[in-house]
Amino acid sequence: MDFWREIFMALSRNKLRTFLTGFAISWGIFILIVLLAAGNGIMNGISEEFSDQSKNTYMIFSGETSKPFKGHGINRDIWFTDKDIRFLENEAQHVDQVSPTINSSGFAYFGDKSCSVNMRGVRPVFQSISNVDLIEGRLLNERDEKQSEKVAVIDDALEKHLFDNGISPIGQFIIVNGIAYKVIGVYEGDPNSSGGGALVPFSTLKKITNQSHYWMLRFTVKGLETKEDNEAYTEYLRTQLAHLHEFDPNDMSAVYIRSTQEEYLQTMKIFNTFELFIWIIGFAMLASGIVGVSNIMRITVKERTNEIGIRKALGAKSRSILASIVTESMIITTIFGYIGMWLGMVVAEVSRNILKTAQEGNNISLNIVPSIDIRIVIMATALLIVCGVLAGFFPARNAVRIKPIEAMNYR
Amino acid sequence: MVSIMGASGSGKSTLLNILGILDNYDTGDYYLNGKLVKDLSENEAADMRNRTIGFIFQSFNLIPFKTAMENVALPLYYQNVSRKKRNDLALEYLERFGLREWADHYPNELSGGQKQRVSMARALVTQPKIILADEPTGALDSKTSAEVMQILREVNQSGITMVIVTHEKGIALRTNKIIHLKDGVIENIEINNPDLIDFNTEIK
Repeated sequence: MDFWREIFMALSRNKLRTFLTGFAISWGIFILIVLLAAGNGIMNGISEEFSDQSKNTYMIFSGETSKPFKGHGINRDIWFTDKDIRFLENEAQHVDQVSPTINSSGFAYFGDKSCSVNMRGVRPVFQSISNVDLIEGRLLNERDEKQSEKVAVIDDALEKHLFDNGISPIGQFIIVNGIAYKVIGVYEGDPNSSGGGALVPFSTLKKITNQSHYWMLRFTVKGLETKEDNEAYTEYLRTQLAHLHEFDPNDMSAVYIRSTQEEYLQTMKIFNTFELFIWIIGFAMLASGIVGVSNIMRITVKERTNEIGIRKALGAKSRSILASIVTESMIITTIFGYIGMWLGMVVAEVSRNILKTAQEGNNISLNIVPSIDIRIVIMATALLIVCGVLAGFFPARNAVRIKPIEAMNYR
Repeated sequence: MVSIMGASGSGKSTLLNILGILDNYDTGDYYLNGKLVKDLSENEAADMRNRTIGFIFQSFNLIPFKTAMENVALPLYYQNVSRKKRNDLALEYLERFGLREWADHYPNELSGGQKQRVSMARALVTQPKIILADEPTGALDSKTSAEVMQILREVNQSGITMVIVTHEKGIALRTNKIIHLKDGVIENIEINNPDLIDFNTEIK
């Protein structure tokens, strides 16, 4: 009790010193958190911008055999079926999400207007892999797919052809090949294509067209981080498909395998570089914070050399002086460290909300939303506190070792 | 009552450090209160300092952020005396030095003489066997110096050994023994009769 009273007194009697020490710590942690949050925000923005390239996508196309195999002749068509989808989904290694596509073309009608349309039956995952940009309404979701809803997301070309200015297509029904689809959204189509386009659930179009053969399957993969990985994986796929469809694994024209690995690896390189950059900045900030805090603690203890000498002459044991100085610095660093952490998080959160609102209003393409990883924040704060205490400990130990008479004459 | 005189560099401070168990020595023996002081651990030294030795310094060495009372009570804190008892004792000693009403003042609100009296109260509060005074009047005017010497003499007469380091002849003449140091050795010891001096006169 007496021990704590003594410490509290020392702290409150030296308000300016206490405040300056605390301020250095609060400021260090505050800046660190705000910077980390900003860095994370930019990182998030970039990863969103590159999201279509941030996944390694594989495409397999059907082809014709060019080598005889197990009694099969050449020029046999290899088509993909549901069996291949199931293989990819359940057995093949590294597969993340499978996105099969069915195409069906025809004419779309709304009222007295019509336009040629290329309909694609896709799963919701297709929209993120292919980076479908929504203009209004919503995209296809898992529910649409599961329940084979007759809904369509049309492109802007089709919207322009079928709907007069001022009429919202959302909620309207368009007729394609005798089937009515409810329009749920509009996306940005390919400006080079003639006619319109529409996305409908894969399961819906599969039922309507009764297709069971696909000429192309698309899927994303995880865990292939090098060129070698990707080459080996391509070989693996060909061998597995050769087994399923009974063709020669060395037959290069039976199926064609393409992947976005080059872009993917490139993007990952940018990501990793940027992440490294943020970490370097973070560490530099942390280091300068530690230096600042250490300096203040060192000066504080130097300032007290006199007092330490007096206390020793009066019969204080080195241990009790050390204990009280370390406890003092622990109290200061913890309280002010906590304040700095709290302020930093408030500022990060407020700017996050402001930026979010601004982005919603202005449709800014680069989405910079600061965010903080609470574990990193706590770890950084703890590190600063530990360093502050250590920075107080070593000079205090030196001061305690000085002969009291010298310490008292220290100016 | 002993005074130690000598030019600077003659070993006064070293001797005082050794007597105060603030430093170790290489040869010879130092008996304090019948006990050999040698190769003590830090904690033993601190304890012995706390209980048997009182220090008085030229620059008073009061802790600036503590009141007069808290300064006087500080040595008792290191004896784990309770707060109440500490402060009562401190007030009692301040009373003895006529500083009762200054108990709640901080050192920078006190005059030099008052500060030195606070530091004397602090030195005596643990009832030590010996008081080591390092130039106790060095920062005081001659009138205040005389007062301080008078108090130290009274303390000495109450049975506490008094060792004063000084370079002022006038101070040394008020002690019973003057030890002259030169180059780290005792040059001579002068037996002195302080009763010949009127302690109420100013020190020249």
